[in-house]
Order: sequence, then structure tokens, then C-alpha cells
Amino acid sequence: MRRPRGGARTNAIAALVLVAIACIAMLVAGTNPIAGFAALARGSLGGPHQLAETLVQATSLLFPALAVAFAFRAGFFNIGAEGQLVMGGLAAGLVGAIVPGPGPVAIVAMLAAGALGGAAWGTIAGGLRARFGGSEVVATLMLNVIAALLANFLVVGPLRAIGAESGETPSLALDRTLPVLFAGTRLTIAFPLALLIAAALWFFLARTVAGYTLRAVGDAPLAAARAGIDLPRMAVFAFAISGAIAGLGGATIVAGVLHRFNVALSPGYGFIAIAVALVGNLDPPYIVLAALGFGILQNGSLAMQSLAHVPKDAVTIVEGLAIVALAARRSIARRTA
Amino acid sequence: MSAFVAFVALALVKATPLIFAALAGVICERAGILNIALEGGLTAGAFAGVVATNVSGNPYVGVAAGLLAGALVCGTLGIAATRFGVDQIVAGIGINLVTTGAAAYALVVIFHSPGASPEVRGLGPIGAALLVLGAFAAAIAMHVALGSSAWGLRLRACGENPRAVLAAGTDPRRVRVVATLIGGGLTGLGGSYLSLGELDLYSDGMTGGRGYIALAAVIFGRWTPLGATGAALVFGALSALQFVLQRTGIPSELMAALPYLAALAALAGIGGVARAPAADGIPFDG
Repeated sequence: MRRPRGGARTNAIAALVLVAIACIAMLVAGTNPIAGFAALARGSLGGPHQLAETLVQATSLLFPALAVAFAFRAGFFNIGAEGQLVMGGLAAGLVGAIVPGPGPVAIVAMLAAGALGGAAWGTIAGGLRARFGGSEVVATLMLNVIAALLANFLVVGPLRAIGAESGETPSLALDRTLPVLFAGTRLTIAFPLALLIAAALWFFLARTVAGYTLRAVGDAPLAAARAGIDLPRMAVFAFAISGAIAGLGGATIVAGVLHRFNVALSPGYGFIAIAVALVGNLDPPYIVLAALGFGILQNGSLAMQSLAHVPKDAVTIVEGLAIVALAARRSIARRTA
Repeated sequence: MSAFVAFVALALVKATPLIFAALAGVICERAGILNIALEGGLTAGAFAGVVATNVSGNPYVGVAAGLLAGALVCGTLGIAATRFGVDQIVAGIGINLVTTGAAAYALVVIFHSPGASPEVRGLGPIGAALLVLGAFAAAIAMHVALGSSAWGLRLRACGENPRAVLAAGTDPRRVRVVATLIGGGLTGLGGSYLSLGELDLYSDGMTGGRGYIALAAVIFGRWTPLGATGAALVFGALSALQFVLQRTGIPSELMAALPYLAALAALAGIGGVARAPAADGIPFDG
């Protein structure tokens, strides 16, 4: 296995290069980089509402990022957080629209349905890997598209029966939406819930035998197999948990942000989450910090576009480059046959 | 009869970019690089094709630019994966994000029109037909080159056992970079077919996941040039069927999902064992 590379110095150089590229992108668009960054900061940190919206974006990224990191730590590539997010959101939207009962019960049912939906979708990829040795990378990529098509089909087709239209499930009753933390914002209890999951994952990975086993499989699969660890079972387990976390994230977007399932639920959170997980060094506490940083980028990019006339896609370029730069930093998963 | 001819024509139109991208996937994977950046190569080819055509007024210049842009995008993956110890999968995802973002950004900066470029002079029916023929020619050329030349044997060995290649005196890293450059050029051709052969403009998201369908075609075609081309033709025909069956009540999403489902089925061993090259996606750093 390759040793982790680089260190603080490499990271600092990578960060400087990314900032330089962002500056070039702004200059080419005819904007003074100082004005560009000022607009980005103003749009993401400039006031209580901007801050709240930044935390909303950070929350939506944190769930899939934790999901991706969990699978990575077990040595598996979950490129399918995007699809698991969609399936979780779809399950939550469905349950919220049809299950009777008081609000809090419905909310718990929605979150549970989201986690189950995501876990089921993840388990398909894990099962293919475990049973047939099929590449989980390709499987999750395929499942992403299948999830999007399935959601689209259901929402414009059979779900008409419960009042779905134009790519959405019916809007949730107010008592079925996640409680907001601050009135007038979209920041809900999803944010502390995400932090709680991060803490639980940290504890699991760092402080439990099962977590140690999982990391052993990721770091040295052959040794783990010799020590009697059932690798196929581990693949299914890792993908089920990973999918559940992503699916839960989809459910919080439905119950907390959109108040319905919409086929455009995710602007690529599942892919950007890979960058978040890598920047966070696959370690939950740092992933939380990384999610906050990417939340600033996501939320600030709109202000940068409207105030400083820099296309918001400049942020996508920087996020993509961050992934490429960080892909070198550590041996992310086992790649030996 | 003419309806059938129209269907075959549409199927070929839909299959052509898939054939280019699937061939790119085959050559990269046979050399040991699992190229997720096929989608990025298509995007780059489609966008560069439109920009170069807009500047030069000649769509063939656009196709050449598309080829170079695709080679640049996938070659970046190849160099990063072999020289900088970058993980192929993760870098591929990153490169796809960069190309999507860069094309959307450049649409605004160059054409001042977010979402889609203005129309440019396309290839026209004859030029487009030439590219379709080019796709089949590339498939046959790759079949011969991979199967019956020393170069092809070395390339395939890099995907099975790169250490043996090194021991025999060839640097597998170089072979892999060459494979991504050739593959990238093919994705660029596929992309420029989309923007200059089919539509005469670039619009955001126009590649529509074809790079991922191509990965499915590679598996379905069992990592061979002719097999992947056949799979791409089937997927193209499925895509054309969507238009034919629009009014029959068969959900178009089901038709659209079939290539992906077929790939999953192939991964699950349905229809014979689907075995990837032994060193597919596994880094080799000397």
C-alpha cells in the first residue's frame, strides 16, 4: 500500500494554487478578485440569514460526505451517494405524503424511511461487490442514474394518484416539516442531527472493535481476511450504513428544506461530497469543518454571480480541482486485486 | 419501410457518440485505467468543437479541436494517475466536475449566454455521416491493433500484469498515458459529434451521462472493441426506440434505464461471466 503523502506544506501549496485559479477565473470574467471574494463572503457570512443558509448547504453536504467517508474507510468507493440521497429523499417524501398520524411521528417515520431507502440502494452495490466481485464504482455510477430515472418515473407517473405533479410529491403539512432552529431561516434540526451522526461515526471508527475491524479491512484487506474477517459481509455492511447516512441526508432535505420530494433534490451534493470527505481527510471531525467550508463556497457562489458577475460555475471548477489535488494525498482505498 | 430506415438512422445517430466513448473506455481499461472521465472527455469535445467552429467558421476545425480537448482531459487523468499517484476513480470524478464547471463558466465568459451557446455551422449530413463511419472504422482499427499487434499485446498486458510488462522492458505508465490520450481523443470526437453533428450548438448537460452509458457498454461488451461497439449500437437503438414508443405507454424512463440495468446484470454475471482486466483501475507506480 502507498503511504499517505504530503503534509501541511503540500496542503498549503494545494490551497494556494486553488485560490490562484479562483482568482484567474474571476479576472477572466472581468472581476477584481478582491471584489469577487468579498461578494462570496458577503453572500455566505454577511448576516444571520446568509450564515443560516450556509449552514443549510453545509448540512446537505455533510450527510453524503460522511457516507462517502465511511465507505472509503472500509476500502470501498461509494460514488453512489448521489443516488442514495435521491432514494432516501424519495422514500421520505412518499412516507410524508401518505402515512397518517401526528407530525412528530410522521417526521421520525420520514427520516427512518430515508435511511432505509438509502441503505437499500447502497446495499445493491455492496451486494454486487460481495456476491460477484463486481466493481462497486461502476455499480454505484449506474445506480445513480437509475435512481434519478426511477424517481422521475414515479413522480410523473404512478404517484399522480397521491397528488404528485411536475416532478414533485405533494407539499408536506407544516407540522411534518423539520423544526427550524431560528425563525425565518431554513436552518433546521437537520444540522445538529448531522453533527450527531458525525460524532457517532467518529466514536464508532476510533473507539469500537467493529470500527477497528472496518478500518482494518480498508487498510489491509488481505491481512484482515487472514485474520478471519468476512470481507463480503463487510462490503454489504459498509454500503448499507453508507447508504443509510446518505439517504438520511436526502430525507432531511425533503423534510427540512424543500418540504416535498423534488426530482431536482440535489445539485450534485453526492459528488461534491467526495471533495468534502477528502478535504476532511476521511475523519469525521475534519469532515464537519470541510462541510462548513464547502457550504460557504456553495452558498457564496450565488452572491458572487449576482454581485460580482463571476459565473457561479467557477466554484464547481475549484471543487473539482480540489478533488483531483487531494486524490493524491492518501491511499484512499485498497486497489490491489 | 421508410419508417424502419428512419429508425435505423436515428439509432446510428444516438449510437455514434456512445461508440466513440465506449471504445475510449475499452482502450483505457484494457491498459489498466478505469476511466470515469469519459463524460468529461465528451463534454470537453462538445464544447471545444463549438468554440473552434465559432472562431474558424469551419466545423472540421471544430472536430479537430474537440479531439484535442478530449485527449487533454483524459490525458490529464492518465498522467495524474501514473505520475502523481492520484487515485483514478477520485480524480476521474474531479475531472468531470472541472469540465462541467469549466464549460458552463466559459459559456458565460465567451458567449455571454448561460445554458447554451449560439448556433454554429454544423457538420451537415455528409460530415456527420463521415464521423459515424469514423466510429466504426475506429472500432475495427482498435480490434486489429489490440488483438493482432505487438503494441496491442503490450497494452493489454498493462491491464493484466503491469509488472510483467516492466520486466519485459516497457514502462507500463507510458503505455497507460498513451491509452488515455487515444481514448480521450475518441471521446472528443464523440463529443464533437454531439455538438456539431447532431445539434449545431453546445448546451449545459448535453452529454447527459453518455460517458456512464459507455462504461456500461464496455462491461456489456466484455471489454472488447467490437463487443463494446455492439453494446453501444444496442443502447443507441434503445434510445431511438424511446421516440418510437413515446405514445405506447411504455415509460421512457424504463427504456432510458435499460443500459444501466444491463450493466448491473452483467456485473452480476447474468449472461456469462463479466471479468474486467485483472489490473483494471489498479495503480502502478513502478
